[in-house]
Amino acid sequence: MLVAETIVPTQPASLRDRIDEVSTRLILRGATGLASVDFELLGQSAQEQGNDLVAAIARDLSRQIAEASSSDQTDLTRILSGGLVRMQALLKEPAVAATVESISVEPSEKTASQIQANAAIQSLSADMDLIREFVTESLEHLSTIEGQVLILEKNNTAAETLNSIFRAFHTIKGLAGFLEFADVQALAHEVETLLDLARTARLTVTSQVVDVVLESTDVLRQELHGIEIRLGGNIPPPSRINESLLLKIRKVSRGEVEQSGNTAGAPVASSISPEGSGKIATAPPAERRIEVGRSSDSSSSVRIDTAKLDQLMDMVGEMVIAQTLIEHSPALSMVQDVRFLKDLTHLARITSDVQRITTGMRMVPIGTQMQKTARLVRDLSRRAKKEIVLETFGEDTELDKTIAEELADPLLHMVRNSIDHGIEPPEERIALGKNPTARIRIAAYHQSGQIVVEISDDGRGLNREKILAKAQQNGLVQSGTQLTDNEIFLLIFEAGFSTADKVTDISGRGVGMDVVRKHVQKLRGRIDIQSEQGKGTTFYLKLPLTLAIIEGLVIVVGDQRYIVPIYSTKEILRPKAEMLSTVQGRGEMAMVHDTLLPIVRLHRRFEMKPRTTSLADGMLVVVESEGRQFCLFVDEVTGKQEVVIKSLGESFKNIPGIAGCAILGDGRVGLILDMDGISNGRS
Amino acid sequence: MHDASLSETSKNLPLLVSKDRAGKYLIFHLGTEDFGTEVLKVREIMGLQDITTVPQTPNYVKGVINLRGKVIPVVDLRLKFELAPEEYTARTCIVVVRTSQAGVEMMIGIIVDGVAEVLTLREEDIEDTPDFGPGIETPYVNGMAKIKGKVKILLDIDQVLSTKEMNGLSALLQ
Repeated sequence: MLVAETIVPTQPASLRDRIDEVSTRLILRGATGLASVDFELLGQSAQEQGNDLVAAIARDLSRQIAEASSSDQTDLTRILSGGLVRMQALLKEPAVAATVESISVEPSEKTASQIQANAAIQSLSADMDLIREFVTESLEHLSTIEGQVLILEKNNTAAETLNSIFRAFHTIKGLAGFLEFADVQALAHEVETLLDLARTARLTVTSQVVDVVLESTDVLRQELHGIEIRLGGNIPPPSRINESLLLKIRKVSRGEVEQSGNTAGAPVASSISPEGSGKIATAPPAERRIEVGRSSDSSSSVRIDTAKLDQLMDMVGEMVIAQTLIEHSPALSMVQDVRFLKDLTHLARITSDVQRITTGMRMVPIGTQMQKTARLVRDLSRRAKKEIVLETFGEDTELDKTIAEELADPLLHMVRNSIDHGIEPPEERIALGKNPTARIRIAAYHQSGQIVVEISDDGRGLNREKILAKAQQNGLVQSGTQLTDNEIFLLIFEAGFSTADKVTDISGRGVGMDVVRKHVQKLRGRIDIQSEQGKGTTFYLKLPLTLAIIEGLVIVVGDQRYIVPIYSTKEILRPKAEMLSTVQGRGEMAMVHDTLLPIVRLHRRFEMKPRTTSLADGMLVVVESEGRQFCLFVDEVTGKQEVVIKSLGESFKNIPGIAGCAILGDGRVGLILDMDGISNGRS
Repeated sequence: MHDASLSETSKNLPLLVSKDRAGKYLIFHLGTEDFGTEVLKVREIMGLQDITTVPQTPNYVKGVINLRGKVIPVVDLRLKFELAPEEYTARTCIVVVRTSQAGVEMMIGIIVDGVAEVLTLREEDIEDTPDFGPGIETPYVNGMAKIKGKVKILLDIDQVLSTKEMNGLSALLQ
């Protein structure tokens, strides 16, 4: 009956009347009185009348209804009423819409900026989803732009590149206008105008132009993060979009060259421009490897909520378990039917294919991270007055999205370190008979189930003696210790270790490399270094392909099974009486390879009933946490298994000694132990 | 915050607040009592299965189970209500409910002695919780329904399973 009312509008009622009608129904009957088709129809008629914004809101609300579950009616009602108010406001003049929004904020003793922020939240609240989408999408556009601009700088007549940058800014401008982010819109508009001039060959792309475009992307990115902060309900740092930046863009677009810039990026360009920027512009095509061609196939991709992906992963995991249960069912051995067995094998094959594909869905190419370094190399090489060419290989190498994101910082630090310490100034390179233009090479490839990222430079290389001397001076290494080259080089990753004679604003405080090590450790990866003095240095970052899966040792205590991550286990042994001792009647110790290690009884830690309390009847697992080793006493070790890590959820967030859980081969849940937590609660 | 800003907007439209308790209830036994919870919140009812114990949690938290790939906590309602613990029987089952805790939807399994039926209750069947006098708080009782001469206690399952309490207890244990 409800639907009939709306589907047959006897005469084309005005859009406003129809919105009013829907909101009346919402007031009278709550969200249950409305169906998603109501808003769809609203959207259609708004579209017909050319009111895109209203149509978009209506479509969004219609989707909200369709997705909402029956239990959160009150939330839905709030969302719907918010949306309707916004639509009503939009139908009046934009000016009126603005007042409607600001009236509801009472100007009391708040500062102007607070009021502004509140008003912003007000206007944000109605279509948060739209805005979130806008932010993610625009950020993606910005990183594409950055990559393209760098290509443009090397080849300033690349029409297609120019066009794609132009289009990206245009899209951002459009979206910002649509969502009433006037500042963003204004800035994007200025840049668009500038690019339009370049596109129609009325302006040559100089390094001035490139600088100003890059500066604008930085400011825009900051602005977008500001919007995100506002969405979270906090007050963002003040916007950097101001008249002077807009004026600067306009100036550049008129072809005026700025002599005394007040920003960091611009002035350097002119100071070293004769050879510096000239070099970059005329670099041979071989160096132009950072192609952002991927943006063209972005149309064939779909943005998926990670929660949905996780759900899919869960279900696939269950499917694999069900599959294994069937395969190992004793009933199967009775089956004689060849056809049935064949079908079963077929199903098993499909299952494992599905599993492989789902795992691959979280994978992204590493290219985006490499692009970020390209920008860094450009800026830093100018500042350090060194000529550097960045070569990248294997941008298509895929790795887990989380790891790719975590990798960004270490990559930047290592490249920064290479530029500042590794690579000599051009004069020095010429004196050494090297090519004055230095090379930094980043390559990524898969190797035995890991991803390897190589960062190499052809600079001065690491000075083995200097590092060793410094380490001995800092007490990191006892004199007389024999170390391999790799071990010595790895010392540069120690906190506060820097052999740089001078501290520059780029690096040299010994902080950067420490950060690299922390990040890589967090990702359960490792670093190796090769270096030859005078020839250069190569860092190898070796990382797992995904964080979602770990290899674990399945152990048993009482009737429970636990998983000990393989990377923290050293050894498994069955204790012999002569190995065991008790220190001062308190701590139990085991002698393992001439080292006395404390024993932690898991059943005591977790207050549960074990099968055995006698050390000689159980097993000891030697584990390491935070550099210390100890033995974990368990009933039994049943094997090794690859498991998908799952969170235990909000209710069990902070249980010491438990890192999460995983579903074991038989479908039961096993808890994953966290050795740091167990070790800390030891006493 | 999300909620707060939404409610800001919703001030503009009067909300129809429904304190409607009428509807369908799943009735289950716990000891000698009958309890009811809204059917809308019930996701499924399953037989007892292996539960993985989670250390350092209150005794009524039995642990976690694998519900088709999702790991969900299981609470023994008997222990939660401080009734005498009893051996599980063939009728014991896990009722998986959807609760919302601090705006986050989550699924929790509750162990009950057995499920009885689904009842449709009218508003006039439901009475407010009687005042048991000072010191006896009943925040998680929505009301009482008298049907066929027997009282069913209607639970507000979100309150019963407030994770704040679980968190608080596990924090205490640390």
